[in-house]
Amino acid sequence: MLAILFLLALFLDRTEPVRAILGTYLLLSLYAAGAIGIAAATWRNWWLDARLAVPMHAIDMAVFTAIVFSTNGSTSPFFLFFVLPLLSAAIRWGWRETAFTATSLVVLYMGAGLLLSRTQGFELERFVIRSGHLVILSLLLIWFGIHQRSTLFFRQEDFDSPMGEGENALARALGFAIDVAGAEGGALTVAPTGEDPLDGLQLSRGGQRTFSLDRPIVRSPGYSSFLYDAARDRAVTRLPEGRFHFAAAADWLEIGSALPAAARQGLATQVRTGTQQGWLLLWGISDLSTDFIEFGRELGRAASAILDRNALLQAIETGAAARTRLSLARDVHDSIVQFLAGAAFRVEAIKRGAKSGSVLQAELDELKRLLVEEQGEIRSFLLALRRDRELDIAEAVAELRALAERLSQQWSVDCNVNTDGGKGAIPIRLQLDLQQMLREAVANAVRHGGAKRVDVELAVADDRLKLRVADDGSGFPADDDKPPAEPWSLKERVERAHGSLELVSGPGSTNILISLPLAGAAA
Amino acid sequence: MTSVLLVDDHPMIAAALGMLLRETQYELLGRARTAAEATKQIASVKPDLVLLDVHLPDASGLDVLRRMTRTRSRPKVILLTAGMEDAQLLTATDLEPEGMVLKTSDPSLLTECMDAVVAGKRWIDPEIAERTRQAEARAASAPPLTRRERELIELVRQGLRNRDIAAELGVTEGTVKVYLHAIFDKLQVENRTELALRAGELVSR
Repeated sequence: MLAILFLLALFLDRTEPVRAILGTYLLLSLYAAGAIGIAAATWRNWWLDARLAVPMHAIDMAVFTAIVFSTNGSTSPFFLFFVLPLLSAAIRWGWRETAFTATSLVVLYMGAGLLLSRTQGFELERFVIRSGHLVILSLLLIWFGIHQRSTLFFRQEDFDSPMGEGENALARALGFAIDVAGAEGGALTVAPTGEDPLDGLQLSRGGQRTFSLDRPIVRSPGYSSFLYDAARDRAVTRLPEGRFHFAAAADWLEIGSALPAAARQGLATQVRTGTQQGWLLLWGISDLSTDFIEFGRELGRAASAILDRNALLQAIETGAAARTRLSLARDVHDSIVQFLAGAAFRVEAIKRGAKSGSVLQAELDELKRLLVEEQGEIRSFLLALRRDRELDIAEAVAELRALAERLSQQWSVDCNVNTDGGKGAIPIRLQLDLQQMLREAVANAVRHGGAKRVDVELAVADDRLKLRVADDGSGFPADDDKPPAEPWSLKERVERAHGSLELVSGPGSTNILISLPLAGAAA
Repeated sequence: MTSVLLVDDHPMIAAALGMLLRETQYELLGRARTAAEATKQIASVKPDLVLLDVHLPDASGLDVLRRMTRTRSRPKVILLTAGMEDAQLLTATDLEPEGMVLKTSDPSLLTECMDAVVAGKRWIDPEIAERTRQAEARAASAPPLTRRERELIELVRQGLRNRDIAAELGVTEGTVKVYLHAIFDKLQVENRTELALRAGELVSR
């Protein structure tokens, strides 16, 4: 395009060129024809494009130097064209290649200028000014090359949409890569870090299928992204400094029979997550070019981010499940197992009493009452576990009131639950925690403070559940120079629910203020 | 009469043991509900025998026993438990209480144990003895935790991320992952959450 434009400009401007008229037209025509031929040859041929990049760049510089100096030399109106190879190097490659190009151009420009310095019409002043411009522009582009940051092709939100239920993270990552690369199909193989990625997923118009391999497709060549053509045994990558590096495709990868024939040419890019690593292969990309090498690195990072995000969500779910499991085990141990052990000791005591002729009626009645109460506790515990929905505040309060009644009898204390009438939904896990917190708070009030009355207030504010437990006991024991002891077990339970606990204790009253997040509580 | 102090926070157990010891050779001097209360009362009432629950609201009953073993003379101790992890079983065995009884065993075993202990014998619930043997076998077959692994578990317990742990220990993040997987295998935990939640009990092995 540039050569044709150049040729047209010369043709329209009758004063140009001033020297070697025939040679200039001939050179420019040959160059234009050659450029068209090269463009046609490298069209959809990334291998030739990469191979010819450096030689063509050198030819560009030489031809433009010759033509600029054939059109009035130092005063040529086409000086701007002269610096285009420099811009091209800065855009296509790294700072080293830009510096090399700049040095070459400056040397060529100066050399040609010196050669023509004795000729008529040579303007030394303009030559010096233009040389200065060329040097400044070169330094500027080299500086940009050194400080350029890697281009981000994607933003987090491009692939951050929530994963559908049952959706496979591999399929999601692979589908995303195929879409944005405009590929016909692709494959993704991953394995835990340190292991060979032998299992993978293939996605194409024909659908989705999993596959297993005897050995990995890519032989870890040490490059994170490259183009390959297995049929012609060619592969190319771009080194960090911008240079192309060529190799036989067979040295870097082996496309076995597990993948379709179309997969024999395409883009391979590394995928690396916090715990896994593998390779993403894309094929059938219509406009595949060497630009895809860098784009492939970004694609690999994007696919890794999708897999990482899924792994993180899974870890959160697994962690929540583990916490719930251990918490439930603790609840069952603290309440049901202890109660049944106590009941068994009572039966043993009654049995021994019967042998010695004691009156047993009152003890049997007491045991029966305790068993019925515990049965109610277990029933409400199981009800909460079985429930597959969140509770309204009103339902939760009703259950807490029933529990308060049982605790009143168990601990001989007057326990009341009140609410401010606020609305909201309480996850099941939180309701179980609330019940257990109430049990522990009442037990603490009676055990430590000898309380006779416990008032519980429940309120919802700012997406948090506020629980206030006030009793008329003597409070938690405190040493003279230390703050009062904290309800350790209760505090631990509150912290597990990501809440906070504040204790205000003094003679005659103790207030425990608990704040629990509603949104973060796992159901 | 043998004076007894009961250390247990569960009201049902306390009331039941009170009934069980009525009209026997045992005199129940009092009841402590926490480890702190237990330490104070043992020093003040000087019981002949302590029935000590392992799970207390403020600390482990094993901590109370450990403190008692440091004193010149201590009362005889029967550990009461509704269930112990391997590590706790091994610690309890090392502390050599005179008796150990499972709350879930036949209740008559408690009085049998108390009688034996008062007579100067050591009496361990058969089920606890069997579980201890199994725990010892498991501990012997499992490779021990290295000092580095213990340090790493402590950092996981503090909630540090792999990157922070790596910086703290002066290793790479990859090395931290390798260590973590080795620890998961050794301690037979499924993930770091379980490791963090059970760190105290697991590291005491």
